[in-house]
Amino acid sequence: MAEPILELRGLSRRFGALRAVDSVSLAFEEGRVHAVIGPNGAGKSTLLNLMSGQLRADGGSVRFRGQEVTRASPDRLSRLGIGRSFQTATVLAELTCEESLRLAAQSCLGSSMRFFRSADHYPGVNARADRALHACRLPARRTARAKSLSYGEQRQLEIGMMLATEPQLLLLDEPLAGLGHDEALAVVDLLAAVARDHTLVLVEHDMDAVFSVADAVTVLVDGRVLETGAPEQIRKSAAVREAYLGEEEP
Amino acid sequence: MSQPPRVQALLIAGAIGLAAVPVIGDRFWLQLIGKAMITCIFAISLDLLVGYTGLVSLAHAAFFGLSAYALAGLTNRLELVSPLCTLPLSLLAAALAALGVGWLSLRAAGVYFIMVTLAFTQMFYYLFSEAPWFGGSDGLYVSRKPLLSLFGKPLFDLSNRTTAYLFILAALVLVYLLLARLLRAPFGRVLAGIRGNEQRTRALGFATGRYKLVAFVIAGTIAGLAGYLDATLYGFVNPAEFGWRQSGLLLMTVLLGGRGTLYGPMLGAFLLTFLEHFGARATDHWNAIVGAVVIAVVLFLPRGVAGLVERGARG
Repeated sequence: MAEPILELRGLSRRFGALRAVDSVSLAFEEGRVHAVIGPNGAGKSTLLNLMSGQLRADGGSVRFRGQEVTRASPDRLSRLGIGRSFQTATVLAELTCEESLRLAAQSCLGSSMRFFRSADHYPGVNARADRALHACRLPARRTARAKSLSYGEQRQLEIGMMLATEPQLLLLDEPLAGLGHDEALAVVDLLAAVARDHTLVLVEHDMDAVFSVADAVTVLVDGRVLETGAPEQIRKSAAVREAYLGEEEP
Repeated sequence: MSQPPRVQALLIAGAIGLAAVPVIGDRFWLQLIGKAMITCIFAISLDLLVGYTGLVSLAHAAFFGLSAYALAGLTNRLELVSPLCTLPLSLLAAALAALGVGWLSLRAAGVYFIMVTLAFTQMFYYLFSEAPWFGGSDGLYVSRKPLLSLFGKPLFDLSNRTTAYLFILAALVLVYLLLARLLRAPFGRVLAGIRGNEQRTRALGFATGRYKLVAFVIAGTIAGLAGYLDATLYGFVNPAEFGWRQSGLLLMTVLLGGRGTLYGPMLGAFLLTFLEHFGARATDHWNAIVGAVVIAVVLFLPRGVAGLVERGARG
């Protein structure tokens, strides 16, 4: 088997007496969509925050393409090629879609400590932002301010901003949370398209969506990995059904 | 950042009007409008932090005062009168202080950042008001105004009121253009990202702490320029310039004018300078008038005087 793009070994994080993430070891393979599911409070978001540098691990390690990145900051991880979305769509309210995507695309400049030439006059940045605008399917909203977008469109924009940094791996925290049925379908479709040339790790609550896009599913319960496998295997697993599915499908 | 056409017209008309003041105005107007323009420079430097980066700093008066004292010290003690020496050195003093203060206070966020910057301002205030070396609470006279001479001939003499006035105007235009440019550049975009959502901006790969520090140093250095010009105009520095009251007044100027617009804080600076001057003539309680105006603006014009201009532009 090829080397995984991201590998967790014995990753742990406590909050007081609570072991939010308890010695989790997982390997995420390149080119796949790997979903992490689990009941509320299972530690899914904490796990994602440890992977994206938002939180520091108490123990264990994170390796990205074999490189030790356990203590790397969120901005460094982004520069290495790990994009990250948040549980509630975080967009820059006052910026237009185009401005937001150009800001994200500035990451290709290396440093943005550039004080004189107008940000709109960097052809490489503009081209990259334009590709992201089409990839996230918002060309019609180019000049709309982020705050005027629907919640579903804000989600798309957030994914577009990630794509504009040209990441290899995308970490998505509940990308469907708070979306209406049609909006959720649009985002699932978008994620399926993004998955064609990116590796995705997504934490999600919406089971149907997860089973439709994921190549691999990990079930997290009480901060521990209960089981990892193909969606069909997880769907059939008695242990998983008992621990998790049982709650929603009696 | 590009301004709406109406604002651009307003700015160009304003600059021409200000350039015409020495032709028609007497000593009184040169002094008052000179003071207002210095406050403009001071206010737009704070707008870079408050309006464009989302950092409410109360340390700004410290850099203003430090640079003013640097001019007094260099002139009085070292007898340096050439602005080619004193200006860069005064700005360097402000920049270094901003680097130190910013490096320490940017470790705190939100209201704690405000508290730490306030504490620094107070520290500078007591340092300068209690040390006899700096003239104590009486302050210091600047013994000679900056003068640039070539082969003994005065070339550029800031004790000349008109020269000083035009120098301040040129500085204001330059600072404005510099900031407008920087805000449109990639650096300014990152600041807009930080103001919108720092966590998001960080996750896009920007080491936001470094960008905030650079913005803080740029703003502090420009505040230093304002302090240098103030000491030049009045020939006098005193520790009250450091006080947190001064920082608070400046913050009020920015909010009153409309933060995040550059031209708004300039309108605020003119409004407050005039209000202070003519209010103080009319009554001892002019502060109450200023207070009432500020309350009215905050309640009825949440985007400041600039909001009024833009509303007119849309209507």
